[in-house]
Amino acid sequence: MAGALQKIATGARSLLTGLGMTMGELWRTLVRRKAVTLQYPHEKPELSAAYRSAIQLIRFEDTGTHDCVACLACQQICPSFCIAIDGEKVEGLKKQRATEFTMDFALCSLCGLCIDVCPTTTLEYSKLYDQAGYTRDWEMDLLEPFREDEERFREEQRAREAEAAAEKARAAEAAKAAKAAKAAAAAGGEGEA
Amino acid sequence: MTTEPEPTPDGDTYYLNMGPQHPSMHGVLRLLLELRGEEIVSAEPIIGYAHRAHEKMAENRNYLMFLPNTSRVDYLSGMIYNLAWCEAMERLMAIEVPERALYIRTIASELNRISSHLLWFGTFLLDLGGVTPFLYCFDDREAILDLLDSVTGSRLTYSYGRFGGVTMDVGEPFVSGTRAFLVRLRERLPAYKRLVRDNVIFRERCEGVGVITPEVAFDYGVTGPCLRASGVGFDVRRAEPYGIYDRFEFDVPTATEGDCLARFDVRVREIEESARIIDQALDGLPEGPIMPAKPKKRFKPPAGELYYAVESARGHFGTWVVSDGSEIPVRVKLRTPSFSNLSSMPDVLRGTTVADTIAIVGSIDVVLPEIDR
Amino acid sequence: MSAALHPASAPALAQALSTPHSLPHTAADLVAQPWLASLLGVGAIMAFLTLNVLFLIWAERKVSAWIQRRMGPTEVGPYGLFQTLADMLKLISKQLITPSHVDRPLYLLAPLVVFAPVVVAVSLFPFAPGLAVTDVDLGLLLVFAFAGLGIIGIFMAGWGSNNKYALLGAMRSVAQNVSYEIPLILSALAVVLLASHPEGVTLEAGTPSAHTVPLLGTSLAHITLAQEAQGYWFVLVQPVAFVIYFVAALAETNRAPFDIPEAESELVAGFHTEYSGMRFAMFFFAEYTNMLVVSMVATVLFLGGWDGPLLPGPVWFFLKTYTLLFGMIWVRWTWPRLRFDQLMRLCWGLLVPVAILNLLGAAVLAEVL
Repeated sequence: MAGALQKIATGARSLLTGLGMTMGELWRTLVRRKAVTLQYPHEKPELSAAYRSAIQLIRFEDTGTHDCVACLACQQICPSFCIAIDGEKVEGLKKQRATEFTMDFALCSLCGLCIDVCPTTTLEYSKLYDQAGYTRDWEMDLLEPFREDEERFREEQRAREAEAAAEKARAAEAAKAAKAAKAAAAAGGEGEA
Repeated sequence: MTTEPEPTPDGDTYYLNMGPQHPSMHGVLRLLLELRGEEIVSAEPIIGYAHRAHEKMAENRNYLMFLPNTSRVDYLSGMIYNLAWCEAMERLMAIEVPERALYIRTIASELNRISSHLLWFGTFLLDLGGVTPFLYCFDDREAILDLLDSVTGSRLTYSYGRFGGVTMDVGEPFVSGTRAFLVRLRERLPAYKRLVRDNVIFRERCEGVGVITPEVAFDYGVTGPCLRASGVGFDVRRAEPYGIYDRFEFDVPTATEGDCLARFDVRVREIEESARIIDQALDGLPEGPIMPAKPKKRFKPPAGELYYAVESARGHFGTWVVSDGSEIPVRVKLRTPSFSNLSSMPDVLRGTTVADTIAIVGSIDVVLPEIDR
Repeated sequence: MSAALHPASAPALAQALSTPHSLPHTAADLVAQPWLASLLGVGAIMAFLTLNVLFLIWAERKVSAWIQRRMGPTEVGPYGLFQTLADMLKLISKQLITPSHVDRPLYLLAPLVVFAPVVVAVSLFPFAPGLAVTDVDLGLLLVFAFAGLGIIGIFMAGWGSNNKYALLGAMRSVAQNVSYEIPLILSALAVVLLASHPEGVTLEAGTPSAHTVPLLGTSLAHITLAQEAQGYWFVLVQPVAFVIYFVAALAETNRAPFDIPEAESELVAGFHTEYSGMRFAMFFFAEYTNMLVVSMVATVLFLGGWDGPLLPGPVWFFLKTYTLLFGMIWVRWTWPRLRFDQLMRLCWGLLVPVAILNLLGAAVLAEVL
């Protein structure tokens, strides 16, 4: 009997403890305004710096565009087979240029293997997070933002490469001239001597 | 379906299909229960509703490409599975892993274990009809997800490991954030114990319910907290230390009763032990690189095979890889703990009631995608 | 509403019925017609119940959110107050689906059978002195009788749905409600004993027709008056009965931790698994109104009904009722659910014996006081 009463007393106390705790939480939320809710979409979450979303091409400062050379490394490593790339050899440019870079975000598993393998490090994660839609069509054209820059880039790059080539040629010329001068000087010195 | 129950062999019982769509079948488990009133005459788990052919996929892609799959086998301990795959590959190809990466892996794995146990804590209570602890646990778990998000960029399917190291380095904010989280966790766990463990209704629902004896556990290959709750102190981290677990001091919590309450206790104490390991790993976190100086680009393990086991949040997770020396594995077999743990259910459930079924299946913490793979 | 105050109400009603009907001349005359007054009263009750259910569901969601560190509904209306209204509109606009192979008459009738009695039960309550749709001598018994009727509807729903979960839920529900009515009524009886006057009370004192009759304290208004007269609420002299009543009331209304008939994690939705749209809403309506009824009974029995200083009667009445309702919500979001056999053991092993002992104690107490 005493044991049973004891049991009832402990049981009742445990139930009351629970009620006390939940009341404490209610107080904390209601009066001290400590609700953990983030009122999306009125408030937007702060994404971590490392946040991984659909991949995108990096716009480099110096060239003003991406640096995809259509090497297909990412297309081959992709476990979801969601990347499709096409590229072309551009007259006057040393590296290939991508002409087509689509990614099916519906298939992407955000593993980041493509970013790891990219030899020109021109891939990065975007911070898209509120993506929703009514279709399953999530083909993303990653070159889209770069198309209008492409012609200008090619011109500039051609000029740059030509400039670099000319520079190199001049340097070679200069080196050659210097060498010749040196040789001539040596010869002249010999002659003078 | 008719109003009359289907006739069963002795005409006295009827069948109840619990699942594959049922609020507390944790995904798509289907239990075919033969009932007499509410008493269970026999129970048969029927699986396969979340089958995605992970093992077959492994035979069609190279070793690195299988990496994202591993975190989707068990979405609650994705980090542990990811790293298990990496470590298996590193052993197979004899790749040296930098010290710092090893420590980061341990911290990330144990955080993942805590988050998995917290989620289990919540859903178990949800199965028992207590909704509030579920939200509390999710609140705390959210802190872990934020931490892991800050280094891996993902909240569930991490793909954090690479053969030879990890993808991103941890900074000071992660270290201090983890320490702050551990302080908060240690503050809250006793409160949750008071709210849940001491509650007389909870104890009534759990004590003596769903006893898994050590014999049954051995018969079915039950591992993890379920095995330890039956009094067998087997933990892969202790029995066959992998990674750098041999450097840390931690206990392997056990209980002897083998009932739902014992499984609850073991898991809660495991959260504390994981916190201890994280503490030590944070203290010992060395400076240095997180990937080998010259990471390999192509992976061609020598012909042969390897079985690599780790302790996931649910038990013994093993990866068996057969290589023929090419870039693509010949066979990958994933030994997942939930599958074996669930297999014991027909024995354990017999003679209990419908309400107990929910408690027992909840207490063994099954993750269906892991069972179906 | 008819001004009916016990113990004068019964003779007054008899008199009203015996006088020949005359055509009403004014609005006041119209309202004075007992049949019309009752009709208006029932209309008012229905409006009140609808508002109450809308508010209670909102309160349930808000309180659960606060307990769980959340905010609850915030979007529709101020503090999300119109959220349940929007939900109700959604339920009304939904197609009514009847699953195949149901027992049609039972299936279609069940929501009504669950819904109607609770409305009747509410119309028996005195919210303030003289403010009741009908005050009858046996008010308490009627309330329990009507509240108990709902179980037939639940069983019809479970049986007619052609669903094993629904059937299991209905079986649990019937066993549970029938069992818990015993401690519920035993604890209420303890109060009735205190409010009774076996030695008799004098009716129409001071008039030639004054007479003395023994009085059984089952009129809700009378129980309130008795507490007013004695100067204390019965919860002070009957705390055990109050606790038993509250626990049994939770079980009667299928509320957590006794929400076993609809145990979501076990039986999906129990007896109303196969109901959707407005039919489901009727069950929902009945459930929340049932909560209101048991809380109002507790208010009358143990907390002195409209009795209280300063504030007007109805304010006190509803203050007490909604405090009890808050308690029911609070309990639901704190404790896990019992198992069925444990629920029955709690009833027959603890509540019933204690209630019987308490009733004996109350009998002694009634003699002493």
